[in-house]
Amino acid sequence: MLIRPVREDFRVIGFYLGRIFLVVAAASLLPLAWAGIAREWNPFGSFLLMTGVFALLGVIGSRLAPGESGLDWSHGMVVVALTWLIVPIIGALPLLMSGHFGRPLDALFDAMSGLTTTGLSLLSDVDHVASSLNFWRHFLQFLGGQGIILAALTIFAGTGGITLYFGEARDERILPSVTSTARFIWAVSVVHLIFGVTALGLVGWLALGFDFDRSIFHGLMIFFAGFDTGGFAPQSTSVGYYHSGIFEGVTALLMVAGAMSFGLHYAMWRGPRRSVFANLETRTIISTFGFTMVLTLIGLAATGLFVNVAGLARHGLFQVLSAHTGTGFSTVPSAELAKWGGLAFGGVAIAMALGGMGSSTAGGVKSLRIGLTIKAVVNQIRQVLLPEHALVGTAYHQSGRKHLTPALIQSVMVISLLYVALYLLGAGIGLAYGVPLQESLFESVSASANVGLSVGVTDPSMPVLLEMVYMLQMWAGRLEFVAVFSLLGFVYAWVRGR
Amino acid sequence: MRRSVRATFLATAFLIVATPAAAAEEVSVLEILELGAELAGTEVTVEGELVGDYGFRDDGSMWTQLNDDVYVHQPLREAGSPVGANVGIAVRMPADLAERLDPPGRYRYRGPVVLATGIWKYHDSKRSGESYLEVQSLTVVEPGRPLGEEVNWAAVIFGALLLTGAGIIALVSRPED
Repeated sequence: MLIRPVREDFRVIGFYLGRIFLVVAAASLLPLAWAGIAREWNPFGSFLLMTGVFALLGVIGSRLAPGESGLDWSHGMVVVALTWLIVPIIGALPLLMSGHFGRPLDALFDAMSGLTTTGLSLLSDVDHVASSLNFWRHFLQFLGGQGIILAALTIFAGTGGITLYFGEARDERILPSVTSTARFIWAVSVVHLIFGVTALGLVGWLALGFDFDRSIFHGLMIFFAGFDTGGFAPQSTSVGYYHSGIFEGVTALLMVAGAMSFGLHYAMWRGPRRSVFANLETRTIISTFGFTMVLTLIGLAATGLFVNVAGLARHGLFQVLSAHTGTGFSTVPSAELAKWGGLAFGGVAIAMALGGMGSSTAGGVKSLRIGLTIKAVVNQIRQVLLPEHALVGTAYHQSGRKHLTPALIQSVMVISLLYVALYLLGAGIGLAYGVPLQESLFESVSASANVGLSVGVTDPSMPVLLEMVYMLQMWAGRLEFVAVFSLLGFVYAWVRGR
Repeated sequence: MRRSVRATFLATAFLIVATPAAAAEEVSVLEILELGAELAGTEVTVEGELVGDYGFRDDGSMWTQLNDDVYVHQPLREAGSPVGANVGIAVRMPADLAERLDPPGRYRYRGPVVLATGIWKYHDSKRSGESYLEVQSLTVVEPGRPLGEEVNWAAVIFGALLLTGAGIIALVSRPED
């Protein structure tokens, strides 16, 4: 029997939501300042309004002092799920007021896509978007990739921090306390920010011949969307706009860094570095990347689109890397990606579905789950083949020696199956609207795994239901289901509980 | 007689050489994107707005993007409707062709609308598979021009009121520890 939530439950949830909104209000001062400095007065007004809404909700919420009960597991999950619903709704205000969207739902779609680091977009005429609005789109990806909750945890520590931390789809606590883990993650990100923006800015200025300020602007936008595996770009032709192998190379490094778990970053910073390559997750992602890369290259060679190996390797590698890391940048137009067909198309789609590492900014099923599933299957086969009483080793290496337990296998299987179900949901709805199977499946996987590569299904003229399903996929996929189900359970208990 | 035949031949030859643009097929950017492989290596003429950045490179070339979409003639800042993504291709031209161009299109600025004639390079093997229009001649059809921007005063006032309200609540109602 479900117990109906009482007033105290709502006070606890409201209090933590309020504190998170205050942090987002502080973050939204950045695009406001950008608009003021760039004298972009139309977006300035919309950023002021957005900041005001966040601040007011934040102040009201944080005044709801919770009683003795504090934040329990279910409260934490509800707070996370609601945060990831309400922030895009309020964050969509500047997008909606910009005039670049035909329907309010389209602006919400882009805000959800930005925050969940998906990268699918319904924004019209991106080539004439205000620089401050572009900053907000990309900064949303940075906030979402790092985790809004994580941002809040860095500033305020509390008894419920651990619940909120895990609710945002993070599997491991790198340092003893959640606050120190959150601060470490931000430290890693700031180092990459400095490296990424400097490198991309210098390439833009010295090699591409852009003006200095525009080079820094492009560097910052591509860093936000690359390191946080988001996939938005300041120009309509994505990374293909830059026509530079060096620029693509630096972007690729950032995408890889973003798809690495922060535990792995910690191992690489503090050592021992050898353990990085002993990790099951590292070995799995290298194997699956190699597999999908080979598939794509063979498929691309068969299409005959590229007449030399350099072109084939450059574009094939970039697209597969972008798909596997869940970034969604592309160097070829959507119309051409749709023509890839066969193995090339399959390679990219599989790479998207598999995703990056756990506790990273990437989406998808995640490499650790793939690795554990393969290990469980292999163990099962060995158990069948070996004598009845033979013992099969269950150890694996993942930040230390661990054991594959039935409970762990069950959890991995459930989440993996939920991802498959999510992929099929969007594909089914797409099919019902007459979108061909291949394209339906591709776009659905792209939305659910928070990738953002598109073959053209995502368009302002798309059916409203399909648009809403993609938004649901982005939200559920980013939070890895648990927080979403907790919210649904909470609402059900409120309506039907006793 | 011989003289007149020679004169006719020379005149015909001059006409062919002097009108390369007329020989080029005028296509839309959408057609190029859809028929990229079929048009590879052919001379085409496209019309559109230059947007983004002018990237002047050390090899004496300039790269930019040419958009041929509804926003060229109906910018969103001038009551155009948001109907979808931009439709653009990369263009590469000798730097001297680009020296006198107005700035490229961005926020509050409609870039120059040009008629560009050149060879469509589809996954060019010399540039490790990039696709772009290698521009040989360029005519400015419409110069660049600024676009208006309206301040949303309602948003400014309402936002300021909300922030003030938040500040007042924060001051008068301190949270319990």
